[in-house]
Amino acid sequence: MSRPGWTEVAAGRPPGSGARSLAYVSPEGDLALWNDHEEHRTLLVRRPELSAEERAVLGNWRAGRSGPAVVSVGEQVHGYGVFTFPYGPVAMGVAEAGGFEVRTYGERILEIEPSVGHKRRGIEEQVVGKTVEDAALWIERRAGPFALSHAAAFRFAAESAAGRPVAERELGVRALGQELQRIYNHLHVLARLAEAASQNVGAAQLNALAESALRALGATFGHRWGFGALVPGAPGRRLDAPDRTDLEARLRRLGSEFEALGETLLGSRTFLDRIQSTGTVSTEDALRWGAVGPTLRASSVAWDDRLRDPTIPYREMFVPVVTERAGDALARVLVRREEVRGSLLLIEQLLDRWPRLGGGEAAPVEAIEPGRGIARGEGPSGDLVYDVRVSEGRIRSVASRTPSQANWPLVALSLRGAVFTDFAFSFESFGASFAETDG
Amino acid sequence: MVKSWLGQAAAIGILTTEFPRRPADPEELPAAARAPGAGPVALASLPPEVRAACPTGAISLTEIDQGKCVRCARCLPAGLVPAPDASANLGSRAGLRWPDGRPPGGTGPAPLAELGPSLHVFLVDVGSCQGCNLEVMGLANPYYDLHRLGMFFTNSPRHADVLVVVGVPTAAMVEPLRRTFEAMPAPKAVLAVGACAIDGGIFAEAPGRAAAVGEIVPVDLYVAGCPPAPVAILEGILALGRRRSRGPAP
Amino acid sequence: MIGGAGLLLLLAIAALFGGAPLALVDRRLGYAATFLGSVLLVIAALAALDAGPFTALSWTGVVGEPEALHLDALSGFFALAAGLVWGATSSYSLAYDTGPGRSLAVAYALTLGAIAVLFSTSDWLLFLAAWETMTLAAYWMILEAVGRPLRIFSAAFVFLAFGEASTILVALAIAGLYDGTGSFAMTSPIAGPMVSVVFVAALVGFGLKMGVAPFHMSEWLPIAHSSAPSNASAVLSSTLTLAGVYGLFRVVALLPDGPSWWGALLLTIGAISALLGALFAAVSEHAKGLPAYSTIENNGLILVALGISLIARSDGLPALAAFALFAAFFQALAHAVTKAALFLFAGDVERSVHTLDLSRTRGGTKAADPVASGAGVLAALSLAAAPPLAGFVSEWMILEALFQSFRFPQAWLQFTGLLAGAVVALAAGLVLVAMVKFVGFAALYRPVRPPNAERPRGLRAPIAGLTVLVAALGVLSPWILTALAPTVSAFEGARTAAPVGSLLAIPSGWSILSGSPSGFFGIISPPALLLAFAIGSLPALAYFALGRRGAERRVPAWSGGRAAPPPSETYTSFGYSTGLRLMLSGFLGTREVRRASSPGVSAEIATPLSYDVDLEVLDVFKSFYDALVRLVLWAAEGTKRAIMPGRIGRYLTYILLTVLVVIVYVAAAFPGP
Repeated sequence: MSRPGWTEVAAGRPPGSGARSLAYVSPEGDLALWNDHEEHRTLLVRRPELSAEERAVLGNWRAGRSGPAVVSVGEQVHGYGVFTFPYGPVAMGVAEAGGFEVRTYGERILEIEPSVGHKRRGIEEQVVGKTVEDAALWIERRAGPFALSHAAAFRFAAESAAGRPVAERELGVRALGQELQRIYNHLHVLARLAEAASQNVGAAQLNALAESALRALGATFGHRWGFGALVPGAPGRRLDAPDRTDLEARLRRLGSEFEALGETLLGSRTFLDRIQSTGTVSTEDALRWGAVGPTLRASSVAWDDRLRDPTIPYREMFVPVVTERAGDALARVLVRREEVRGSLLLIEQLLDRWPRLGGGEAAPVEAIEPGRGIARGEGPSGDLVYDVRVSEGRIRSVASRTPSQANWPLVALSLRGAVFTDFAFSFESFGASFAETDG
Repeated sequence: MVKSWLGQAAAIGILTTEFPRRPADPEELPAAARAPGAGPVALASLPPEVRAACPTGAISLTEIDQGKCVRCARCLPAGLVPAPDASANLGSRAGLRWPDGRPPGGTGPAPLAELGPSLHVFLVDVGSCQGCNLEVMGLANPYYDLHRLGMFFTNSPRHADVLVVVGVPTAAMVEPLRRTFEAMPAPKAVLAVGACAIDGGIFAEAPGRAAAVGEIVPVDLYVAGCPPAPVAILEGILALGRRRSRGPAP
Repeated sequence: MIGGAGLLLLLAIAALFGGAPLALVDRRLGYAATFLGSVLLVIAALAALDAGPFTALSWTGVVGEPEALHLDALSGFFALAAGLVWGATSSYSLAYDTGPGRSLAVAYALTLGAIAVLFSTSDWLLFLAAWETMTLAAYWMILEAVGRPLRIFSAAFVFLAFGEASTILVALAIAGLYDGTGSFAMTSPIAGPMVSVVFVAALVGFGLKMGVAPFHMSEWLPIAHSSAPSNASAVLSSTLTLAGVYGLFRVVALLPDGPSWWGALLLTIGAISALLGALFAAVSEHAKGLPAYSTIENNGLILVALGISLIARSDGLPALAAFALFAAFFQALAHAVTKAALFLFAGDVERSVHTLDLSRTRGGTKAADPVASGAGVLAALSLAAAPPLAGFVSEWMILEALFQSFRFPQAWLQFTGLLAGAVVALAAGLVLVAMVKFVGFAALYRPVRPPNAERPRGLRAPIAGLTVLVAALGVLSPWILTALAPTVSAFEGARTAAPVGSLLAIPSGWSILSGSPSGFFGIISPPALLLAFAIGSLPALAYFALGRRGAERRVPAWSGGRAAPPPSETYTSFGYSTGLRLMLSGFLGTREVRRASSPGVSAEIATPLSYDVDLEVLDVFKSFYDALVRLVLWAAEGTKRAIMPGRIGRYLTYILLTVLVVIVYVAAAFPGP
């Protein structure tokens, strides 16, 4: 655990009773991470003791490991006229191979269980025995829109396992890629919500902005989804002055269009009516079920993994942490909107100091000694954890906890009692991905 | 509000591409999305490390299998060059195997379905990373504007002419894919998009992979790439619609 | 002197009553007798409509009144409707009633006989006796529900309680009539200060029997009518309520032109009944509760039509008055026949799927028995007012009458008519929802459990027969309405000088016209509609007969890529109407009740907490009756404690006081010589 940022405590349960949420438990159960939200630090516990409640949280993270299974938040509803309305796994409303089991007596969702595991490809099993560089090809293809946060967290973990420091320039590249992808994802989520509300002009403009974010990624890293962007020596990774000018110009245009669009969209009563008080997540539920990312921040918990133990470049830059109180779909929209602004600002600062970032290129990780590394990163939908063991330059095991896994229980809870038509507004606002869940 | 929408639209101007009337530019088809082919170098003379570095074994001594290639670009420094246009990503399964690293000549796949140029498209994901899904759905955005070509996404396979399959079929998705194809009215066509849907791509050996898409439903046309660029997917859908009116696809 | 028709009537009544003792011998013999009686009654009624009133038998009653069994055009019309229904229910019962006892058949015959006497008496005292016999026999019939579940006793008791309340008020109305005319004869018109009392007492008394608001008391009629055996349900819902309608018309026919508020009161009660009946039908989950609520709606429509007629008459609009009466009579006839078909069909469904709970079937497009289900669909379509069926014609006529409320001279009457029109139109829409539900989950369905293959075969012919009648009534309505002219005259004749035949509102030829003497307002032609449907469906029929059937490919229903779920996990009829429950929660008093069904500690999420959810609807009037019940119980308890504490000394004092009062009264009233 060479990367600091968490406090190690003795075996058992972390002390104190403050606001705390479970962040990760290794598959072997030999260690766990808890987020201490008051002190804004992470507690690492060896041989942890989990309460029944925490075991339920853990069960949901691991749902779908062996074929389709449901994420359950505990209650089962029966009653006169109540039946199960199956949705998916083939449905354009989800546009991914994943489903929902809706318990209803008609019109109203009494209970909803996301059905995950349809897309389980077994990535973490398959990369065992590969070199870190090879394994990264698989890891980044776990979930296309989150490729860079996965690749970065995986590499950080592997580097930490090998006990190798990361060069400043390398940190800059990873931050740049992740912030660009964050912008894309937030724009995409906003576009999906606008589409759901039949705000067709707004949706078209947001989709166009999302496409221009993809094009900016493509122009900067050679790949629209950032696959291979963090490979040492990959083409297009060296940002020369003209490239930086080009990127700055693209983002400036994107920013100004987004500002105008945000004003218009959030000024639309019909849009606000659909997302306000829809899909509400209480602070208590968010902490209990281990919500992460914009979901957590929209429920008034200020947690952003970029600030937990800021490294370069975040250490030297202004990183706004956006929180909202209402916990509804509108709150998540507002958080995402502010984060698009924040990421644009961060990239601007980063490009300014780009020439001053030292350290040159990263070299492939070739650890000989057996080691284990845990790394976290703030992905677009929330923080993710990678737990990697390496020896003789090869991967021995990979485990992870992704933001989508952490947020499904909140998707289910937020829809309880809602009417069918609220489904899209609530579901889309979480930005949850079946691909990222299933792995 | 209408005024402000209009004002913004006027300020942004026209974004829509002129593809397919003119070839795709690098903005629309970045280098990494292009099919790598043997340029000046003969495949046989490539150093063995290049073949070994290919994560999916797409490069052999005699051919490059574009269907297997995941565009990781590891082979490009060795002298392979990206193909210039989007249609290089298209073909039957055999048509994607490039002998000596060069696109095969001759006709494309035999037409299976009789479809007109206006198509309704249904997307089915059988185990993708979501990248292909988003590239396909992205065809509706103002940059590509599928609708200007008389094509639409539908919400039910009952209304679909073209089934776009993305992802590597997992055990849980084999039957759903078959049922989706069954639910479509004839005539219908299947477009397999992305390396995963062609031959498993990077997940060819993955424990979760159950079958190839072609073993579950009859595939009319493949679009190579990881993920393919939107223009390549558009080219593929257009090719299906062109069959009756303008002869076989490339 | 007994004429041919009179003899038929006597024989009919004898056969209907005779069914009771015969049923004691053999159940089938009893039903055969009532079937014969029904056929004879229909013939006698047709004679009364065609050749004018006749008397079968006359004698002098216990209080020296001339009494008679006779039929005129008014009672003949109701006897005709009842006879048609009973013919079907009696032949249906032959196959349906396979229960162990014979008492259902006895009670059935007694009910029919009592109603037949009620229609044919010319005297209010015999009417009252028949009314009470009918109520008691019907009470008995309800008690004969299959298996006698516990709730049947409370359902039957509520029926009896409302029945007796109705009897008391009917007796009050009759007392009022006697007070005004000095006679129990049904032919003596009444005038004077008592008329409004008689009107209100009759409206409430007979309205109770019709189940109209606010006397539907949160489904007493639906619970009682739907709990009974199906042949009994059909008799109750079609003809028992018809007896109420007859009584009301009979009384109103004797009243002079009353104040406008009579009509307005009828309009209001009728419209509210229609709305509530339709609303509760739409959210009912019971294959017989749903048609029973629809009965409330239909009876409400009859009141609305009568209301328009009364207002029009007192405002000098005889054409509109007559048209509204035609609408009322046709509605009564159409409803009686259609509702009987629907109840008989529900009984058939019960035999197939072992339950009347709509949530135990799932929506489908296939029929277990094409003949019976086709009949059920047609009957439901008629109640949903689908052209050119009988229900459509009556609904059209009632709406036409309502739309002409602009002709009323007073603004407030125009407004009441307008409002009632809007409410009736809303009710018509809700009935459509209810009937779609009935068709989708009772007529065409997928059973959750395998259906009963050994269904009695004799059930479907009576249902189909009634449904053919429903269709025929609709298509041939212009001619049937013409034949009803004597009935309208019999009702109006007492005070309208102009003969009905000269009014423009009379249907003529192929079409039905509504309007005033100066011009027509609306026109409709059910036979032409049928013709248009037939021609319009020719291309489709030709396509299916000759078309490319070879190109057909059958695939399972699309279910998001999953295998088709088992019927138990698909859309329920409850789900179909939950939208209404939530949207109209104000009207329906919808509330969700949750009960934990397995113990679970909420903090320990690992133990799944399971709970039952129930979306309940509540009638707004229910709380009123609940309060009434509480008041009565409280008063009874108070009386018991204060006045009857169980002490012998106290009771002796009461006796002494009573004797004293009597002595003083006698001394004062009859002063000695």
